[in-house]
Order: sequence, then C-alpha cells, then structure tokens
Amino acid sequence: MAQRIEVKPQRRHARIAAALSIIPGLGQLYNRQWVKGIFYLLVAGLYLNGFANLFNMGFWGLITLGTEVPRDNSIFLLAEGLIAVLVLAIGILFYWLNLRDAYKTGEAIDNGEAVISFKASFHNVMDRDYPYLMVSPGVLLLVFTVIFPILFSFALAFTNYNLYHMAPANLADWVGLKTFAQIFTVDIWRSTFFSVLGWTVIWTLVASTLSIVLGIFFAVLVHQKDLKFKKFWRIILVLPWAVPGFVTILVFAGMFNDSFGAINTTILHALGIKAIPWLTEAKWTKVALLTIQGWLGFPYIFIVTTGVLQSIPEDLYEAALMDGATAMQKFRQITLPFIMMQMMPIIITQYTFNFNNFNIIYLFNSGGPAMPNSTAGGTDILVSWIYKLTLKSNQYALAAALTILLSVFVIAIALWQFRRSQAFKEG
Amino acid sequence: MKKSVLIAAVSTLGLLLAACGPSNSSKSSDTSATKTKSLTVWADKDKSDGIKSAVKQFEKDNNVKVKIVEKAYADQLESLRLDGPAGSGPDIITIPSDQIGTATTEGLLKPLTVSKATQKQYTDSAMQSQIVKGKVYGLPRTIETTFLYYNKKLLSEKDLPKTTDEWLTYSKQQVAAGKYGLLALWDQVYYAGGILSSYGGYIFNKDAKGNYDTSDIGLNNAGAVKAATYIKSFYDAGVFPKGILGDQGINTLDSLFTEGKAAAVISGPWNIQPYKKAGIDYGVAVLPTLPNGKHMRSYIGVKSWNVSSYSKNGAMAEKLVKYLSNKQNLLTAFKKTQEVPAVKSLVNSTAVKNSIGAETVAKQSQYAELTPSISAMDQVWDPANNALQVINTGKQAPKTALDNAVKTIKSAIKANKK
Amino acid sequence: MHTNSQSRFWRLLLTYAVLIGITVVIIYPLAWTVGASFNPGNSLVSTSLIPKHPTFAHYVALTKTSATFYYFRWFANSIKISVATMILSVIFVSMTAYAFSRFKFVGRKNGLTVFLLLQMIPQFSALIAIFVLAQMMGMVNSHLLLILIYTGGQIPMSTYLMKGYFDSIPRDLDESARIDGAGNTRIFLKILMPLARPMLAVVAMNGFTGPLGDFAISSVILRNPKAYTLPIGLYNLITDKMGASYTTFAAGAILISVPVAIVFLMLQRNFVTGLTAGGTKG
Repeated sequence: MAQRIEVKPQRRHARIAAALSIIPGLGQLYNRQWVKGIFYLLVAGLYLNGFANLFNMGFWGLITLGTEVPRDNSIFLLAEGLIAVLVLAIGILFYWLNLRDAYKTGEAIDNGEAVISFKASFHNVMDRDYPYLMVSPGVLLLVFTVIFPILFSFALAFTNYNLYHMAPANLADWVGLKTFAQIFTVDIWRSTFFSVLGWTVIWTLVASTLSIVLGIFFAVLVHQKDLKFKKFWRIILVLPWAVPGFVTILVFAGMFNDSFGAINTTILHALGIKAIPWLTEAKWTKVALLTIQGWLGFPYIFIVTTGVLQSIPEDLYEAALMDGATAMQKFRQITLPFIMMQMMPIIITQYTFNFNNFNIIYLFNSGGPAMPNSTAGGTDILVSWIYKLTLKSNQYALAAALTILLSVFVIAIALWQFRRSQAFKEG
Repeated sequence: MKKSVLIAAVSTLGLLLAACGPSNSSKSSDTSATKTKSLTVWADKDKSDGIKSAVKQFEKDNNVKVKIVEKAYADQLESLRLDGPAGSGPDIITIPSDQIGTATTEGLLKPLTVSKATQKQYTDSAMQSQIVKGKVYGLPRTIETTFLYYNKKLLSEKDLPKTTDEWLTYSKQQVAAGKYGLLALWDQVYYAGGILSSYGGYIFNKDAKGNYDTSDIGLNNAGAVKAATYIKSFYDAGVFPKGILGDQGINTLDSLFTEGKAAAVISGPWNIQPYKKAGIDYGVAVLPTLPNGKHMRSYIGVKSWNVSSYSKNGAMAEKLVKYLSNKQNLLTAFKKTQEVPAVKSLVNSTAVKNSIGAETVAKQSQYAELTPSISAMDQVWDPANNALQVINTGKQAPKTALDNAVKTIKSAIKANKK
Repeated sequence: MHTNSQSRFWRLLLTYAVLIGITVVIIYPLAWTVGASFNPGNSLVSTSLIPKHPTFAHYVALTKTSATFYYFRWFANSIKISVATMILSVIFVSMTAYAFSRFKFVGRKNGLTVFLLLQMIPQFSALIAIFVLAQMMGMVNSHLLLILIYTGGQIPMSTYLMKGYFDSIPRDLDESARIDGAGNTRIFLKILMPLARPMLAVVAMNGFTGPLGDFAISSVILRNPKAYTLPIGLYNLITDKMGASYTTFAAGAILISVPVAIVFLMLQRNFVTGLTAGGTKG
C-alpha cells in the first residue's frame, strides 16, 4: 500500500470524482463514463422518487407508532418503518458502491490507465462481482420473507400491542422491556413459561434421541450381510417418512382418542389393558407424542445411517476380525463412532427440528389437555404456545417477547454445539 | 478521505429525512362515492338461504349489488380482524353477542343510529347485548339457547327423566348396557354455566347501574363449587365418555347422537336441521331440574347483524342491517332456517310456536341469561374451561381449580388493561 | 463352528421377528386410515380396520363442493404451490450455494453463520409480520406470496447443505473447464449442477414437502376457502365445530398420501445419496 502511494502521489481525479459522486452518477460522468453515469443518476433519482414517501411515513411511523385513530394503524406503521430501514440499508450499500466506483475509476485515471468502457465494466460485473450477482436474488428474498418478519416480531416485543391496543380503535406504543418484565413477574405467566420451557427441553431431548436411536438400530439391523429381502425392509421402514406428516399426525390423533380410538378400543382391549386417557391426561399425551415422533422421525435417520454404513471401509473391520472382536465390540468400537462422527450435523438438526416441531404438538391435541395453574396446555412447547397467544388470544407483544427468548435460547445452544462439533470448520 | 465522504453522505441523507410524517391527514375518506355501490355480507354457515329473498329486494330498491358469503358466525370476528384492514373484508357480519365487547374495544364495529321505537321491537336482553356504553352496535337477528334433544326411538316422551338425578340413574343403566344416556359438554362453561348459575355462581356481577363489574367474579363462590362438584359426579359415574372432553368433544357428541348411540344430548338450535338430516327422529325439551329444585339455567346467545367499521359504504350497510332485521324479514329467515327471531311479537307467534325447536328455545329462554358482552369475557373462557376440565378429569378439587381459574382470569384482565 | 451357526440362526430369527414387529407398527396406522375411509358414518365412533359395510360415500363426498369445501381445488392448489416452491428453491439455493462454495466475497463468512442461525428460528413464529406484509402488498389470498415465503424459508438450510455438496466436488474440474474457456455461469450449469444431482434431489424434495406440511403460515395468508391448500382444508374437516367428518378426512388424506408416497419411494434412491454425502460432512 505505502509503496503504491509513494510511486503515484497524484490523486486529484479520484478525490474529485468521489466528491462529485455525492450525487450518484456525477463522479462517473466526470470520469467520462457516460452510460454508467447516466445509469447511476437514473437509479438514484428513481430510488429517491420512489421511496421518498416510504421513508417519510416509515421513519415517522417507526418512532411514533401513529398519533391519530382511526387514520393510523400502529402495526402497519411499524412494518412500513422496518421496510424503510431495510430499503435504506440497501440504498446506503449502493451509495457506498457508487462512491467507491467513482474513486477507483478516478484513481485509474490518475494512474494514467485507460478508462474502462461500459461494455468492459459490464464484463467486470460478470467477473469480479459475479458472486454478488449470484447471491443477491436469494438474499433479497431472504431479507423480505425471513429476516423482515423476524425483525418485525422482535420489534413487536417492545410494544404493548394486544387486544386493547389494536387498530382501528386504538394505537400501540413502545413500552421497552415491560413485556419481558411481565413474563418473569406476573405469577401465572412465569409459572407457565417455566413449565412450558421445561417440557420443551425434555420433549426435544427425548423425541430426537428416540428417533436417532431407532434409526441407527434399524439401519444396523437391516445392514446385516446375511439378511434377506433388504429392499423390502428398507421400503417399509421409509414409509412413515413418505406419507405427508400432517396426515399421519391427524390420523394418530384419531387413533389415540380416549373413548373411540383404535389404540384403546382395539389394541389395548385385545391385550386386556384398561383404556388409557391419552388425550385428557398430560402424562399420557406426552407418552403418545413421543411415540408418534419416534415413528415419524426415525426413517430419516435410518436412511442416512444406511448410506453411512455402506461407506465404512471394509479394512476397518478386517483389522478388528484379526483381533478377534465380537459383533458387539465391532459395533461399539468401529460402527457407532464412525456413524456419530459422520452424522453430527444431521443429528443436531434433529434436535433443532424437534425444538420447533409445532405441527405434531398442535395437530395431535392442540397442546392440550388443560392444566391447572397454566395458561398453556399440558403439552404445549414454546412455539405452539406462541402460536396460540398470537392467534387465539391476541397477546401479540407477549408472543413476540417469547419468540425472542426462544430464539436466544436455541441459538445459544446451537452455536455452542456447532462449535464443539467443529461443524463450523469451513464457515 | 473516505471518512469525510461518508460523513457528507450521511448528513445529506439526514437532511432528506428531516421532514418526516404524514403531510395530508385526511385523504382517505371520499373515494368510494363515485363507483357503483356494492356490499358484502358474511352470513352464517348454511344459513344464507334465510336472507336471499330479502337481499334481492334490497338490491332492487337501492340499486346496489350485494354479495353473500357464508362463514361460521363464531369465526367471523377473527376473520374481520385480518381481512378488514386488507380491504378484502365484508360490510356486514353476523357474530355471537359475547364477542360484541371485544369487537367494540377493538373498534371493529360501526355504531348505528337506531330509534327507540325500533329497539323496543326486539326482546330486551337481545337488544341489550348490542349496546355498549350507550351506543348501539348492531341489531339482533336470532336468539338461541341450549336445550335437550332425545332420540324418540330410544326414549319416549313419557319416560323422559325430568331431573338431572333421574338422568344420572338412567345414564348409568345405559352405560351398563354398552350405550350412553344423556351426554353434555359440561367441561365447557358455555354448557356448564347454566348449572353454576342455578346454584348461585356467576361470571361477572353487575353493579348498581347494570354494568358488569370485572373485579367481582363469582365462578368460585360456594354455589359454583357445589355445582362443579355435582357436575363432577356425572364424570365420576362414567356416564360421559372421555372422548367428549376437550375442543373436539362437540363433534363426538354429535356423532354419538346421530348414530343412535346416545339417547339424549344437550345442544342448541343449530342442530335442529343437521340432526334431522342425519335421519334421527328426535324430540326436544327444556333442560331438566337440578337437585336443588331449580331449573337448570342456560346461556342465551344472540346472533346479530353488525356493520364493519372498515366498510366503505357504511350508510348503505346500516340500511341493509336494518332491513334484514325487520320483523318481516326475520320471519322469512325463520321459516327457512328455523332460527328463532329475536323479535318480541314473533317469539309468541303461531309460526314459532308450531316449530318444536323454536318453541323450546322460547321456553328455555325464561331460564336463560346473556353471556356478558364485555371484552373481559375473552379472558374468561379458557381458564374457566380449563378449570372444568381439570375438575372433571379428577386432576384438581373443584374448589382449588375454580379458585385458580378466578385468579388466572383476574391477573389476565389486569395484565391486559395495563 | 457349530455354536457359530447356531448363534447366527438365533440372531437372524430375532432380526426377522423385530422387523416383522416394526412392519406391523408402521403399516397398522396406514391400513387403519384406509379402513376409516371406507367406513360409513362420520366419526371415529364406529370405525374399524375392516369395515362391515364398506362404502365409497366419502370419496364421492370429496367431489361435492360447497361454499366452504373444495377438495380437488385444494389438491390442485397444494400441488401448484409445492411444485413452484420446489423449482424456485432449487434455482435460488443452487445459485447462492455456488457463490458460497466457489468465490470469496464480502460477507461470505458471516453469511454462512447467519444462514445457520436463521434456520433455527421458526419462520411462522413471525406470523403477524407475514400477515402484515401480505396486507401491505395487497397479497392476501395470493399463492405467489406464499410460494415466495416458502422459498425464502427453504434458503438457509438448503443452501447450507448444497454448499457442502458443492465443496465436495473437486475444484480441478472447474479449473480445467476454465482453461477450455468456460465462464462462471457455464461452469455452474454444465459441470457443478449435473454433478450435484443427488443434492438437488434433496433440495427439491424439501421444497416440495415443506408446503405440504405447513398450515400455520398458509392459514394466515389464505383467507378465502377457494384459495386454501390441502393442509388447511383437511385440518378444518376434522376440527370444524359443525360438520366435521373424520371419515371424509381419511378419504381425502389417502388421495393425497398415495401419490406423494409413490413418487417419494421412486425418487428415494436419488436423495439418499445426496443426504449421506452432503449432510454428513463431519
């Protein structure tokens, strides 16, 4: 760097071009890049013209959340405000690129290099800026369909948006950390929060571990060399994954019905066992849920493990055979470590998946049965509780605050796990 | 260098953003006047036949187009909340009276101007349910309340048990024979509340002015606990299958009745037609008397026509609401749908008397009361239902469960009111 | 030797016994659904595995539309949304993953971390935001918006998997193609994409099945019964306060499950390779 400055101290063009580019395009025009300059000017003009109103309303709305009913709808203003922030961020990014471009081109002129034509800079885009080009459609989509909603609900957590602060009759306000404070100070919410969190953790651990153990067990079972009809067994074992999940969960909900479901009336009846209150006793609902998730979840692990097993080098076993290891020893010392090492990322995703496994909890028994001293059901996990608070009781701010707590919790654990398992090596 | 450019850039942007805020505060009002007027009415599910002819006449008289969409009445408010701001909402909705409080708190309903004379037409409690803080938010359409259906094949009118104790005995015999006697959804306040109030329980007490006092909740007073203990005896006796507990219980209950497996159920007028369609030859009766000698009470539900505050043709919508709720049109609707009109002079008319279901609704209404139509009711349903469920499944003693429910309700009301 | 073959016999016997056991556990609920769909009546009450008076009535009932019931329309909607999500996710994901795998650029490293974290926050915990977005853009009831949201939701996880798979394809292949004068896009389309077919199958499968399993987001955006997808429609069929019919649900569930399961089993081989190779980089 220092060397270059020494050789070429003259940087007049670069500075002037960059300064002119405060109005995008002028710097480029000064650099005699006509097409590019006009293009930049045009884009800047369109941007300002098109988004002026958005910025105006957006920032005002973001700060005040509305001042007048029924004209203002706090929630729309908040959304507009956040979109304005995102659009502004993108604008600043391009603005910075514009300044840099003018500066760089100016620098090239100072250095006596030829100004690249529009055509050449187009090539430049296809070459040097190629990764940005490839990433931007996906990232743009991600920003508006995933990041924006998440930002929005995070913002919501700091307002008092609920039934009593809803449009069209009322406005919401910023209340800071009040909702969070309430979660931990209002008795009923605190006790519900901790009981739901507790079950969420147990659910995640047990349901995922069950799927993983079953999946590996059956994969090893079917992998035995002298087993016949391997193809057939594999198709059967994959079936639970092949049928759409929401269908099977609803089917199970029917089968586990306390009075009329097949489990009680047919199976347990045939075994001489008294009917079990699957849907009205939280303890049994939990058992049912774990069983069903085991049923639903193991085929995925089964398939992946099967693939991994086929890739274990034979010589590993041959060495073991020489040492006279038993089948169990072989499994414990060679197969299992190999599988675990290979499948760590997939195993971790099982846990995060179940942590957020809304469908099974909600479709099976709506998070029920009812529980004493709790505003959530006996089998509600965090996500299903959040869903209910949002759609059934209009406790939007509370739901949003819980979403933040949930995100912090899951991200902290996941980061810690990923770092530990070294899955981050590349990233 | 770079730094100064950045500062310049940021300050320019800052200048651009300085003048924020809406500049024109009233532009949204008069855009609709020029277009040909059209109205959208959300009618109750399977009940739109009742208003079709009236709507046709109204279209002709007023040169408007009216679109009728069917939607379950209990879900309409939730839909309006989402569809209203989007501009895809209706002009007129029909909702149960216990949602009026919430709807007005949120400002989803447009207040109407209704003369005292018109108001007098409707039964008092029905009209009362539409009035919040002195403003009228809708006109009552029909009243409904729960009563008893029995399967004539399994139980003749003269053998019909008259008291709940007799029903309990009868049900026990039926269960012993592998069938069901009387089924009811007494794990839900809507159904069980009648027993609670017969024993002196109440949701909210009224103050001297007749307004609900949300700090006086009587769901855990001595009477309510006694009632809950009595209700529990039905579950303890095993006459109610576990499958009718919870949200989906209503469907199981209906199936058991329509498949001839239950001799009697407590349900409402909404089943008059479906049960008939299922081919059940049924009779209806008022609810039985309780061990304390009093009639089992029930809640009155009022279904009303209301105007959405998002309506762009508010005046025309109001006119249609008044038209649909006039005596003549309510009678026509009754003939099509069997829903009892909420008009005083019609309740006792021969047309209504001749319809057994409607007559029973009218009779049972003497022992019925409105569910409070204030927004605090939103905080009542879930905790109260939960309490009944944990009592009936034996997870908690009635007193503890009801005390907890009241505590939950109170803290929820407090937390929401800030 | 003798004991060896004897222990082998017992091992295999036990294995077959366990496999037959699990087969029953897997088949029973599925068979039971088929049974329910042929049972007369509406509820579970009289449902049995082998109906005494089998009837096609529920399959016929599916063809009858009413103001709130449009089974085959929902079916078509679901297929349309799933296919579109599948195609779009494959396009967006492979482009993004290509950049992440083969190029150095500003934000690459943090981008990957962000992707990993994003897939852990359930998209539907921001339901209100999604609905407000739909309202502001006037896209309530819009399938396009739903497709975009589903696609967006697919990007983080699938990109991560896809990038891992691209990484496992040797760079020498790119280099030799570059020497032959191939540009970035050409290398992407002609070399990497064909080689990544197993992982593309995984991404496609996730894109297809994701929308079929969602009813939280879709029920908030799709307000008009005609625009519903199958999950919403079938869920309503069971939970409707009035007129729920478990047996009609069973019939409807079978009509969607059978084709999906068949296609899934046929394509299974393709994505198994992808999952084992791409998802298992330790």
